[in-house]
Amino acid sequence: MVKLDQINISNNGLTKFFSPIEARILKTLWTEGEMMTSELTEKTSIPLTSIAGTLDRLVKAGYAVRRVDNVNGRVRYVYAPVYSEEEVASEITTKVLDSLVDAFGPLALLNFSKYSDKK
Amino acid sequence: MNIFGEINCFGICLRLSDFAPFVALLIVISIALLATSFMVKDPKHRLLTFVSAQVAVILAIIATFYLMECEGMLTIYLYLGYAAVSGALMFGITRYYDRLMIRRLNAKPAGSIIGWVQRFVDQLAAATVYYYDSAAPRAFAAGRSIFVSVGLLEALDDDELRAVLAHEAWHIRNNSRMPYLRQLALMTFSSHKSSELEIMADRFAAEIAGEEALSSARNKVDKVFN
Repeated sequence: MVKLDQINISNNGLTKFFSPIEARILKTLWTEGEMMTSELTEKTSIPLTSIAGTLDRLVKAGYAVRRVDNVNGRVRYVYAPVYSEEEVASEITTKVLDSLVDAFGPLALLNFSKYSDKK
Repeated sequence: MNIFGEINCFGICLRLSDFAPFVALLIVISIALLATSFMVKDPKHRLLTFVSAQVAVILAIIATFYLMECEGMLTIYLYLGYAAVSGALMFGITRYYDRLMIRRLNAKPAGSIIGWVQRFVDQLAAATVYYYDSAAPRAFAAGRSIFVSVGLLEALDDDELRAVLAHEAWHIRNNSRMPYLRQLALMTFSSHKSSELEIMADRFAAEIAGEEALSSARNKVDKVFN
């Protein structure tokens, strides 16, 4: 379900897998559920000018869905996350583990067991 | 005959022909008109002088071909072919461009989500307003259709939206003349003056919706696209 095009191991938290603006929007959607664009810009304190393109991208990539709503004669987008935080986390983990096993084979698996023993 | 030989031949013919002063006069007129178009303040007059300069260039080109008085010249065929193909594309595609955009953007009539928009445009031009799915605030006109993104409807208040719609409606009213402008520009290997057209559309929009609404709308839309 998730299309990861870039992974930056040195970044913090979700920004390892998403751009900083994408990460802030996703986190907000996970906490708040459905949100209008104006609420999103307010909560994330990202101006509309920077958020518009990112929202289009998140919808196109399948992380968010939106519907057009008419509130008191005003047209609004209402956004919602497609996957929960857990679903995205498990998808990313699987993808990363898959690529490690693909690159290092049994060696990767050996390190996973060492890692889980340590934890 | 090769191209360079022909170009050489143009030079000789122009020098020997009785028509040469006539061609020179047309070129001088065209340069004078072009210079005037840069000095004139009013966008409408500026456009008119610019178009006149282009017409003078076309006349100079026709006169040059006429005075060549020889058959089967490659450059004449090339130029005629270029004019025919570009003309067919220009007049053919612009007519169907909005149909193409409706399908590509999966656009739907805006009247279905915001009623007054279509009624407002109906008073200004014979055009259908469509909306399409994008958060980036954007509006444009093509053929007999005005396209606005949902992001634009979200970002603008009613007065600002009226200003944007009036601007696009001006384009629709003048769209039937646009292929001629573009074709003229192609045939004289120059450009058409799109900034003048935008100024004229803005003037119309300010008349309809007010200067203030226009500039605040422009501010919101430009911020996303600069």
